[in-house]
Amino acid sequence: MKNKRYIYILVGFLMLCNACLYSDNEIFYVEPIPDLPPVIDVRTNLDTIATPVVEDSLLVEYDISIQNGKLYFVEAWLPGRSIYESDTSHGSFWLYPHDVLTPGIDTLHLDIYYSSNTNSLADVTGYEALEVNLKYGILFKW
Amino acid sequence: MRKLFVLFSILGAQLLVNPTVYGQETGLTVTFGGGTFRMDDMKYLQDYILSSYPVEGKVTSSFPPYFTASAGVVRKLYYHVRMGGLYSYSTTGGRSNYTDYSGKISTDMIAVSHRFGAFVNYTILENDRLDLSLFGRLDVNLTDMSISSSVNILTLSSGITNNYRSIGPAGSVGLELLYKFKEAAIGIEGGYMVDMPGKMTEKDTGEELLDPDDRQRELTMDWTGWRLGIKGIVWLNSTR
Repeated sequence: MKNKRYIYILVGFLMLCNACLYSDNEIFYVEPIPDLPPVIDVRTNLDTIATPVVEDSLLVEYDISIQNGKLYFVEAWLPGRSIYESDTSHGSFWLYPHDVLTPGIDTLHLDIYYSSNTNSLADVTGYEALEVNLKYGILFKW
Repeated sequence: MRKLFVLFSILGAQLLVNPTVYGQETGLTVTFGGGTFRMDDMKYLQDYILSSYPVEGKVTSSFPPYFTASAGVVRKLYYHVRMGGLYSYSTTGGRSNYTDYSGKISTDMIAVSHRFGAFVNYTILENDRLDLSLFGRLDVNLTDMSISSSVNILTLSSGITNNYRSIGPAGSVGLELLYKFKEAAIGIEGGYMVDMPGKMTEKDTGEELLDPDDRQRELTMDWTGWRLGIKGIVWLNSTR
């Protein structure tokens, strides 16, 4: 009987061993030191036109320059429809009258995503972006 | 080395079942303590993984001295000689981490050693209460290692875990000092273990773990190091 007790203790010991598995939950927390904040300048050929008109078609050209940062993504869209996507800082795309559901004035959105320059993990891996949203009123004629 | 271990095991088994020594004291032994572990290749691998981080992380722990324990059966064969079989458990690990407001990267390496072997103790000094002995031990060392890496960035998360295994012989020598009671003994033991690690293979795929910078070199888990522990023996059929 006494021997059995010791065997139970031995079995308990073996079970306890696995509970002593090595673990370390320490974290190395860093406050990222940001570089200079990015400065973005966006120019399009629509800037100088009071009310751009799309009758047959309209070429939209853009030019993006970013100091202390990197362009991730440009998207142009009309309500309910994506028109253009690119990751280049110079580009162009066409608008057509039937890009909209009904003729008249509609809004062209130009969304630009670019690096935040915060040097955080998300910034370094390209998942942290600043955003600029530009809007242009366009007259679509059918 | 494998042949030597088999020979040693057969000899040990012969001694333990030898009818001429039947009736000698048999006991259970348990040791709790700690150990140091060389783990050069694993530290190297940890540094390599850290260098692959896109940000400057830090090794928060690198295979530090950690828990070891043993349990087994001991038999006093002759006046000065004890033999037995032992199971030993050791664990250590390492961690690399980078955390900021936007996310974190972590790599956790957890190593576990299961050793099965036989030992011989030879008493060099003894009186009514104290027993100082030398011991030697030969083991088969079965090692498990898991390497888990995880990345959490904003709402995105990703992770991967690889499990490796190796098997190889190991040997230990050391000293043991026991304070004897009527049916038990308690004391300390310390020694040095030399591990001859085998190649590490991925459990699922069987692929060997190779040096990322030198694909001809196999990485190993080396448990070589010092051991120190508190030991207890309970004699089950004491003749004292």
